[in-house]
Amino acid sequence: MDESAEAAFEAYFRARRDAVRRTAYLLCGDWHRADDHAQAAFVALHRHWRRIRDTAALDAWMRRTLVRSVVDESRRPWRRERFTDVVEAGAVASATDGVATRHVLVDGLRSVPPRQRAVLVLRYLEGLDVAGTAAALGCSEGTVKSQTSHGLAALRAVLGDTLDDLRPAG
Amino acid sequence: MTDDDRLAALFSQAAAETPPPPRFDHDRVVATSRRITARRRSAVLGGAMALLVVTGVGVAVGLPRPGGDAVSSAAAPAAAPEAAAEAGAAADAVRAAPVPLGPGTTECAQRQDPQLRAVLEEVLPEVAGAVEAAVTTDCRPGGERGVSLEVSDGGTAGLLTVEYLPPGEPAGPTSGPSAVAATASGGTVVVGSRGEGPGTPAPFADRLDATAADLAPRL
Repeated sequence: MDESAEAAFEAYFRARRDAVRRTAYLLCGDWHRADDHAQAAFVALHRHWRRIRDTAALDAWMRRTLVRSVVDESRRPWRRERFTDVVEAGAVASATDGVATRHVLVDGLRSVPPRQRAVLVLRYLEGLDVAGTAAALGCSEGTVKSQTSHGLAALRAVLGDTLDDLRPAG
Repeated sequence: MTDDDRLAALFSQAAAETPPPPRFDHDRVVATSRRITARRRSAVLGGAMALLVVTGVGVAVGLPRPGGDAVSSAAAPAAAPEAAAEAGAAADAVRAAPVPLGPGTTECAQRQDPQLRAVLEEVLPEVAGAVEAAVTTDCRPGGERGVSLEVSDGGTAGLLTVEYLPPGEPAGPTSGPSAVAATASGGTVVVGSRGEGPGTPAPFADRLDATAADLAPRL
């Protein structure tokens, strides 16, 4: 890349690194892995920087790359996540204050299948609407709605009455 | 406040946790990007050199021997079929007895292994030039190899993955269409594909078995 392109990439990296890390954290529930996924997404972005003509679409490109990285990693033979409706006692903390609420939600999200988790994170953290989420994930709006419903149901099944605010939406 | 607003507030609160210091910076990202690009170029160059060697064998067979009858340029077309046949035979010999790639030798598994990609492009040339999909950089046992590509099969786009697992490491279940084959080095190759979203067709779905079978003697 030439100097101007490198400078533009660096500016984007510095502006977006923390946000991308936080999204990755909610997608995978672990800061160590979140940094791996975020770094991989930025490396991919750097490698394809010249091919991405529409700079306004950078955030969407990064979201899609990040989600794909997390979802695909969960399917790899060496790290295939397991999901269960049966949660061990004490596995999910109770929400008595803000810190506990954060941990409860992150713990609960770990129990939601990756694709549904991605839909929830894109909709409720990134603030995307149904159409935007569908575009980010490359699926239909109907799929986003059903994944949202299933994801929230899975989250509520794990958290029980801990978070009464959780309601299926969309 | 709507349900969606409450959920958004909860997710924002969860994401507001003070994160640990990042484990990567801009310089590391750029260095990793350049290293991957350099590896990719080396693999392409290696493939080109191998092709030149094979082509050179064929051309050498077609050239006149010292002291023999000179072959004029006008006669070259007549000799060309024979040279081409020899070159083809040489290429067939190379193809018939490939040296298995075997387990990776790096300290950590390469998730975008240039050697595995070069072999994949031999058996599935349509993926040449495909964009690499994002992969994580955490360290896995170096015997494993992987390639993940964003591919297009006609109008069908999606993700094609090839995983090589060294001897003794069983392949787990996969989502979406896939094919598994035992390799010449005693390992396992898993070729998988999935479309852009749920219910969408997977690219090269009808060629996964053949691709795994073609990769097996090479890995």
